[in-house]
Amino acid sequence: MKDKLKNNQGQELDVKTSDLDTVIDANKNLYDKLNKLPEIEALEAIVLDEEIEDTSADKSHPFLKIFNKLHGLYIENELVRYAAWSIVLILISTSALTIVEYDMFKESVTDHVGDTFIFGGDQPNWLDTFFHTFWWSIVTFTTVGYGDVSPVTHLGKFLTIIIMLLNFGVVTLLGGAVASVLVAQRLTGDDTLDENKFNGHLVIAGWNSYVPSILKLIDANQDATDVVILVNETDPDIIQRGLSDYERLDITHIPENFTNESTLRKAFLEKADTFMILPDNSGLLPHEQPDEDKTVLTCLTAKAISESCNVIAHVLDPENVSHLQRANANEIVIPDDHVPHLLAKHVTDPGVPQFFDDLILQEEKDKGLQEVKIPKSLIGKAHNKISAFYKFKYNWLLVGYAVRKAGFSLDDQMGESGSPLIRSMIREQLEGAGVNLTSDEHVVVEINPSDDYKIDEKHSALVLR
Amino acid sequence: MNPTAEQIQKINHFSKVPLDMCKKIASAVELQECQPKKALLTEGDTGDTMVLVFQGQVEVSKNMMVKTASGLATSRKPIIRLETTDPPPKSPPITEPTVFVVEAPAFGIGEFSLVLDDAIRTAHVHATTPVQYGILTLEDFSRIVKDNPEIGGFVYFEVAKAAVQNLATASADISNLTQAFFFALTR
Repeated sequence: MKDKLKNNQGQELDVKTSDLDTVIDANKNLYDKLNKLPEIEALEAIVLDEEIEDTSADKSHPFLKIFNKLHGLYIENELVRYAAWSIVLILISTSALTIVEYDMFKESVTDHVGDTFIFGGDQPNWLDTFFHTFWWSIVTFTTVGYGDVSPVTHLGKFLTIIIMLLNFGVVTLLGGAVASVLVAQRLTGDDTLDENKFNGHLVIAGWNSYVPSILKLIDANQDATDVVILVNETDPDIIQRGLSDYERLDITHIPENFTNESTLRKAFLEKADTFMILPDNSGLLPHEQPDEDKTVLTCLTAKAISESCNVIAHVLDPENVSHLQRANANEIVIPDDHVPHLLAKHVTDPGVPQFFDDLILQEEKDKGLQEVKIPKSLIGKAHNKISAFYKFKYNWLLVGYAVRKAGFSLDDQMGESGSPLIRSMIREQLEGAGVNLTSDEHVVVEINPSDDYKIDEKHSALVLR
Repeated sequence: MNPTAEQIQKINHFSKVPLDMCKKIASAVELQECQPKKALLTEGDTGDTMVLVFQGQVEVSKNMMVKTASGLATSRKPIIRLETTDPPPKSPPITEPTVFVVEAPAFGIGEFSLVLDDAIRTAHVHATTPVQYGILTLEDFSRIVKDNPEIGGFVYFEVAKAAVQNLATASADISNLTQAFFFALTR
C-alpha cells in the first residue's frame, strides 16, 4: 500500500512545471469567465432591491403613529384607561362648576391672587376662573380638600355631592388598577414578548458553559438568525454576566422550566427555525450532573408543539441517544464521540488533530468551515465546475456538500403497486393512528465527491474560507 | 333457457374457445335473472361453480378488520365493480359506485372453481343492478373438457393468467404492508 502511495507521489513529481502553468492559465480564463456570470450581478441587484424596499416600508404620518401608540396603550393598559376617564370626569365637573358657581369662583380668585391675573390682566377673566375651579376639582378628587374654596349655591353643592360620590368610585378603581397592574407584572414577569419579532428564530433550552461560545459563533456568522431566546431557570444576573457583547444577536431570556409546554409556547416554538436542547446546569452544584431525562422530555414536548421544528439535542450520556431518536430529534450531538478518533489520529496521522483544532476552535469571523448557498445558475452542474467557481471567484476551498434529504415517504414508496384498496387502507389506518406518512427532512454530507457528481437544488456547499 | 354460444364467447375466459365448443358450454348453463342486492358469491364459502354474468353490474367487496372510533370492527369494503357493456345493464345501479368500475362485454367470477374442487370464495359479490347470469359447475365443465380436451387449454390459460396477475398484486400488497408495518413500528 505504502509503496503504491510512494509511486503515486513519484509520478506526481514527474509532472512538468510547464504543464502546471498551462493548467493555471486555463483556470485564469475560467476565472474571468466566471466573473462574467450574470448570476452574481443578479444576486447583487436583488440584495440592493431588498434594501431599498426596507427603507421605504413605513412612512405613515408621525401624528397618526403617536395616536396609534396612545390608542394601543389605552386598549392594553388598565391603568391608562382609568386615568383617562378620571381626567375626563375632572374636566367635565370643572366645566359644570365653572358655569354654575362662576360668581363665587371669580370672587375667590380675586381674594387669593390679588391683582396679578395671568390671563385677564387686572381683572380675572373666565380662563382664570376656570383654572381656579380646576384647582378646586383636583383638591377634591385627590381627597386632599384644603377647603380654601367651596361651592355656595344649592345647585353647586348638589353637583359637588355627585362629583364627590363619583370620585369615591374613581379613586377606588384607580387604586385597584394600580395594584392589579403591579400584581400582573409580578406574575408574568416582564416577558410578554412581541410576537412579530419571533419568526425563524433560535430557541436554546438549558444553560451551561457552552452557551456563550455557541452564541459567539452564531453571532459571527452574518447569515445566521439574530433572534435568540434562552429558556432556563438560571439566575438572570448570571446569564447577563455570561453573555459578553454580541454585535448582532438580540437575546431574550425566559426564566422558566423548559420541559413545560406553556413555557415553550411562550418562546414561540411553533415559529422557531431551530430548537437546541442542552444539558441544563441551572441550579446545580459544580459536581452535580445535569438531568438528561429532561432533554428527552423536552424533545417530545417540542415535537408535539411543532412537528417541523428542527430539534438539535446535546447529550453527555450516549445511552440517551436511542431515546432521543425515538423522540424524533433531528440531530443528536454527543461531545465525546470524536475524542477516541482524535487521540488515535495523533498517532496515525500527526497534524490532523491540530488541523481540526484550528478549524473548529479558532473559528473567526468569516473564516473556517462554512455552509453557503450555491448560486441558482450552477444548480445541475457537476462538482468540478462548482469547485472551480468557489476557488476562483472567492478563493474558497470546496470540501463537500450538505444535502437536505427529504424524509422517507410511505406514499412515494408504495407508488401505484399492489391493489388500491390495500394502499388506501394502509393510509387510512396509519393516519387514524396519528402516524405521519412522511418522516422528517434531514441533512447528510457528501465529502469530496467525484468530479462528475451532479448538484441539485437540495445541495449547499461546505467551503473552507 | 340456455345462453347463446356468442354470449359465452364474450366472456374473457372463453374468448379463445371456438364457437362450436362455446355451444357445448352454453348447453350446460342455465340463464337466470336476479334483482339488485342479491348475493352471487359469499366470502369464505366453498364452491364448485363459476358465475357467468351476461348483463348487469356487480360489486366485489371484502371483509376487513378496521379501527374505528369505537374500537376494532369488521367492515365490508368494496374493492371494485364489474359492469357488462354488451348488452349494458337494464337500469342504473342502486347506489353510486365508490370504487373503480371495470367494463367488459361480459365476465365470469369465481373462475378458480374451474380449477379447484373446493375453492374458497375470496370476496363477496352482489348485484347492484338487475343481473342476467348463468352458473357453470365444475362437474359440467370437467365433463365437457374430458370430451373436448382442446377447450381446457384455452380456458385454463386464461385462468392461469388471472391467477398470475392476482399473485403479482398480492406480493406488491405484502410489500406495501410490510413497509407500512415497519414505518409504524419505527415511529
